[in-house]
Amino acid sequence: MAELTYRDAVAAGIAQEMARDESVVFLGEDIGAAGGVFKTTLGLLERFGPRRVRDTPISEQAIIGAAMGAAMTGLRPIAEIMFSDFFAVCWDMIANEIAKTRYMTAGQIALPLVIRTANGYGSRFGAQHSQSVENWAMAIPGLKVVAPSTPLDVKGLLAAAVRDPDPVIFFEHKGLYSTKGEVPDGEIVDRLGTAKVVRQGEDVTIVALAAMVPKSLQAAERLAAEDGISATVVDVRSLVPLDTKTIFEEVRKTGRLYTVEENPRLCGWGAEIASLVAEECFYDLDGPIVRITTPHVPLPAADLLEDNAVPTVDRIVETVRRNAG
Amino acid sequence: MDVVMPQLGETVKEGTVIAWRKKVGERVEKDEPLFEVNTDKVDMDVPSPATGVVSAILVAEGATVRVGEKLAVISEPGSQATREPGVQETRLSPVVRKLLAEHGLDAAAIQGTGAGGRITRDDVLAHLAQRGAPQRKVVPFSRIRKVTAERMALSWRTIPHVLQAVEVDFLPVEEVRLAAAEAWKAKEGFNLTLLPFVAHAVCAAIREFPNVNASVEGDGLVLHGAVHLGVAVDLGTEGLLVPVVKDAGNLGVADLARRMRGLAEKARDKRLSADEVSGATYTISNSGKFGTLLTAPIIDPPQVAILSLDAVTKRPAVVGDALAVRPIGVLAQSFDHRAFDGAYSASFLRRVKEILEGRDWARDL
Repeated sequence: MAELTYRDAVAAGIAQEMARDESVVFLGEDIGAAGGVFKTTLGLLERFGPRRVRDTPISEQAIIGAAMGAAMTGLRPIAEIMFSDFFAVCWDMIANEIAKTRYMTAGQIALPLVIRTANGYGSRFGAQHSQSVENWAMAIPGLKVVAPSTPLDVKGLLAAAVRDPDPVIFFEHKGLYSTKGEVPDGEIVDRLGTAKVVRQGEDVTIVALAAMVPKSLQAAERLAAEDGISATVVDVRSLVPLDTKTIFEEVRKTGRLYTVEENPRLCGWGAEIASLVAEECFYDLDGPIVRITTPHVPLPAADLLEDNAVPTVDRIVETVRRNAG
Repeated sequence: MDVVMPQLGETVKEGTVIAWRKKVGERVEKDEPLFEVNTDKVDMDVPSPATGVVSAILVAEGATVRVGEKLAVISEPGSQATREPGVQETRLSPVVRKLLAEHGLDAAAIQGTGAGGRITRDDVLAHLAQRGAPQRKVVPFSRIRKVTAERMALSWRTIPHVLQAVEVDFLPVEEVRLAAAEAWKAKEGFNLTLLPFVAHAVCAAIREFPNVNASVEGDGLVLHGAVHLGVAVDLGTEGLLVPVVKDAGNLGVADLARRMRGLAEKARDKRLSADEVSGATYTISNSGKFGTLLTAPIIDPPQVAILSLDAVTKRPAVVGDALAVRPIGVLAQSFDHRAFDGAYSASFLRRVKEILEGRDWARDL
């Protein structure tokens, strides 16, 4: 057992898969010699060489196009888009080509590729480098969407994404890179489409993703201490496929659902879960479903504004407290 | 318009809302009964002060509130119905509706603890968990209960009680009573009981033992002379009232019977005036109908004694040197040892017994 940072776990996951399977290759901007702008890929170039670990020009379309072509011709590429905001410049490749190739070729061509990206707020990078765009990705049929919250899940889910026969968008959270966690030694492979109950409670169910998971856990501790409200916290981990079984089970136990989302409110992932729960668990609900989200605004660069635009522990506590009666 | 607890008597300070005649949202005409209220001694319907719609009920049934306190709101025609805080929330969540339907529960039976009194899932589950199990609940004291509790506790705390009892052979009384029973019932419309005979004997004995009909005041005993006889009337779970037969010492058995009957009826209908429940100088309590052998009654201060009549049943009795079957009952008196001593009380009881067993009761009817 070793304690790894979230950022170490990225490199460990990639290394585990590249060592296991020669067809796994890795490409992106500054991922090789520089070890990644977030230092998530240190040592990979040295270990696996420039044929399999390729620095690319500053062209997201080129990275995605190359990854798509490599996948079509038998490799299992991992492509890095430095900031998830930049999906917008390669969205045609991802949304129209990669997501639809298996379908439009009647299954003749599969694209076993992973697009890793740094997602989310917290680094004062401003409106174009801080977005949470997981809801963009989950809106496209044909893409799988993963967003882990711990080093262990990074390694395990990254391995699962590489081994998946279809394109997976893998959202790492910038704000979590320095967080630490225990990761057992040896090979780790998780399963896509599975949520995790990270705290079991009785009164309310909080469903969260990525950086909102540790905040929700902190909020749950405060609710227990200050209000005697016992909260279940579910880490969604995978938006597509979505583990509705676990989410429904945990909502049915408490009759209360709160989603904590970093993406902007309109059409955020929580809206989909709220809609599913309203349909499937209506007769088990004991109160309105409440979404706690970033408002529908461009994310500010100023630190105080950025920190308060996304859901805070205070906001989670107050919202649950206000609606729990 | 606000509806407040009315002043229902000069000395009345509070009242208990027994029942609402109208629900929230229901229309009410001016002077139509709006709620029933209970004070120390009376129950009455209170008429609505206005025509309109009951927009809020602020006091639950069973609650005791001070005179002048706001009880309800009536929205008069033309005015906007106002939503008052404390109005019961009737919105139910899906899971609560489902649970109520599954278990055949009525939402009104469940205490809501959620926001605005809303019934939550946990409230229903708690209710279900409780159901079947013996339930602990608080039943607030009625006015009568409160007054009784205070006076009995005061009595027990301040008066040194002594209990004495005598066995009485009621054969002479019973022969007369049973012979007269049918005609009495036909003429008077109610049954002639033993109680007026006992009352008459007590009044007669008091003439010879006036200290029994007295009050302790300061360092002395006030002898009342006239006998105002309190007769306890049981109101079932609602409590006990003690209407007073004034100048009972001047009444014959028949008149005592009629007066007691009249007062008991008024007590059960809660129509007694304040005058009719005050000023007793001696009290008789009758538990006989329940079959009790002996009751140790508590003195109602400032009186100094109280007599209990218990069940009169046929028992083997030694008459002369033979066994006979006789209607025997126990008369038990609690007395205030500050007022007199055991010998005086015993002599009084012996005198009551002698009268009951020796008098020619036929002449009294």
